[in-house]
Amino acid sequence: MRRLTFSLLNTGLALFLAFVLGAIAMWISGYDPLLSYKSMLLTPLSDLTYLFSALAFSAPILLTGLTFAVGLKAGLFNIGAEGQTYMGALGAVAAAYLTRDVSALPLAVFLGVAFAVAWSAIPALLKIWRGVNEVVGTIMMNWVAYWLVIMAVSTIFANPSQPEESVKMPEAARLTPLVAGTDLTLAVPLAYLTAVLIYVFLRYSVWGYRISISGQNPTVAKAYGIRPEQAVLVAFGIGALTAGLAGVLQVAARPPSYSLARNLANVYGLGFDGITAAMLGRGHPIGVFLASVFLGILQEGARHMQIEAGTPFEFIRVIQGLLILFLALQMVRKI
Amino acid sequence: MIDIVPLLLTQALLAAVPILLASLGEILTERSGVVNIGLEGIMLLGALMGPLVVDYLHNRAGLHLPDIWWPIVAMLAAALTGALIGLLHGYISAYLAGDQIISGVAINLFAAGAVAYGIQAYWGVAGYKQVPEWAKTDPIWVAVFAFVVAGVMWYILFKSRLGIIIRACGEDPESAFNMGVDVNKVRLLTTVIGATLAALAGAYLSIAYLSVVTKEISAGRGFIALANVVFANWNPALAVAGAFIFGLFDALSYWLQTLNLARYEITRMIPYIATLLIVAGVIGRAKPPKAVGKAFRRE
Repeated sequence: MRRLTFSLLNTGLALFLAFVLGAIAMWISGYDPLLSYKSMLLTPLSDLTYLFSALAFSAPILLTGLTFAVGLKAGLFNIGAEGQTYMGALGAVAAAYLTRDVSALPLAVFLGVAFAVAWSAIPALLKIWRGVNEVVGTIMMNWVAYWLVIMAVSTIFANPSQPEESVKMPEAARLTPLVAGTDLTLAVPLAYLTAVLIYVFLRYSVWGYRISISGQNPTVAKAYGIRPEQAVLVAFGIGALTAGLAGVLQVAARPPSYSLARNLANVYGLGFDGITAAMLGRGHPIGVFLASVFLGILQEGARHMQIEAGTPFEFIRVIQGLLILFLALQMVRKI
Repeated sequence: MIDIVPLLLTQALLAAVPILLASLGEILTERSGVVNIGLEGIMLLGALMGPLVVDYLHNRAGLHLPDIWWPIVAMLAAALTGALIGLLHGYISAYLAGDQIISGVAINLFAAGAVAYGIQAYWGVAGYKQVPEWAKTDPIWVAVFAFVVAGVMWYILFKSRLGIIIRACGEDPESAFNMGVDVNKVRLLTTVIGATLAALAGAYLSIAYLSVVTKEISAGRGFIALANVVFANWNPALAVAGAFIFGLFDALSYWLQTLNLARYEITRMIPYIATLLIVAGVIGRAKPPKAVGKAFRRE
């Protein structure tokens, strides 16, 4: 209990400092901090449509946040969610290209997750076999995925009638809004449910136990007869599962386009938002959930901020970066 | 066919410069026991702050300088930015005994946000700004500088007393401390120098090599530099060779584009795939400093 209070206090302090420094940065560059914060934080809560949109933003961030959080549990810095999300979206687009009826949906999930898992297997195996640092390995894979998926979307999977995006998900295979006129689709409850499942898995399954022991101390793990390399593989695999799912849902459950933008705009940066969510949520699935809802509100709020106060959308990335810096400063004292 | 070779080698040299500068800095930092995976972010910030500061001084503050000075001012602005970030990372890593990887990840995320915002907020354009002619410099000067740094660093690390002190901090901080070395001070200083060099690598990208500022200008080069540190086995002399090899793949990628043999996207993947293969190939013989990434605390 004391540890929880301590965490909350630290997180609150980091949030406060990030917003204060952010306000100064905004003021220096000539924007109105108060008006910006008001439309960024309050407008999304003022209307159900906006709130649902914020939740829709939170779903993929939660899923990629789980990727990083599960990695952390195993003692890994898995920065690969970004590329694995691209690959998941590519799987969904491939399914939309192959079948034009309702079967595109299960196929999308299957292909998307399979692509993402295959993508993460490369840095995972390189780490186990050759000792390649997972940060370098996953970042390189992210860049390869970036160019590969851009190529696929602008060639075979291009949409002949809309040059800026890929083929669309067939209408029967789309997850349409649960409340008409909003962005809230089945993706949101699905992502939240995934977080619960991951929590149960980490907490109560044998593999969850093996992962956290290997993460805390590989030598002890070996003494218990656990092979840390296997824990690494499983942690990478689960991370790819959720990141891939995030990519699939951004195509199959994201109105109005139900496609992948040619510049990857609807998946770009999700992996890095996930890292913010995981760190803000201190690696705990419930914490990551709360953090992703908060980041979803920021995402939605940023649009309103740009319209109402004229402050560039990108500003929320400054806030996120400052937040992480302050969290990193504090993680120190805990250890 | 044969006449392409000199051109390709020149291109490789120019592409090698940022990777060389950043990896030299990181070699020094890691030799003292601190790992900084925020190189990519520091490069990005350097690439932004160089042109931004000279633009401000020249166009908004109305400062008059002979044109030859502007690139130097830009480099200094970038260096100062890098030094500040290095100070932060060094302080977290050495004095606060914080998680060095988390701090590095934080720097990368912060930089990605700050640069995207900075370009938009200062120039009012979305993520792409041409660098004016008067702020640019010939890349060859920076290349010469990078080679000089490589030589000096090799000499300091392996031929001087200072080098023994720095390496002792990374290999066996306990003994270094017992010999009267202020381990955390050394680590802070090497981290500041390392980050400064990474920021200069960034400024090279925007004011010398590519002549634009974009929010993705570093394009993974910071991480390729990290790979080069491993490839070079933490030796500045080998880092020159390594950077040239990584640069060669970069040059190859652009050359293949002009030939139209393969799609543009495929050629752009080459440097990253090559990095993975090279790192996987050499890792067996690479021997990192023993205490790298571990905080030193007096018992």
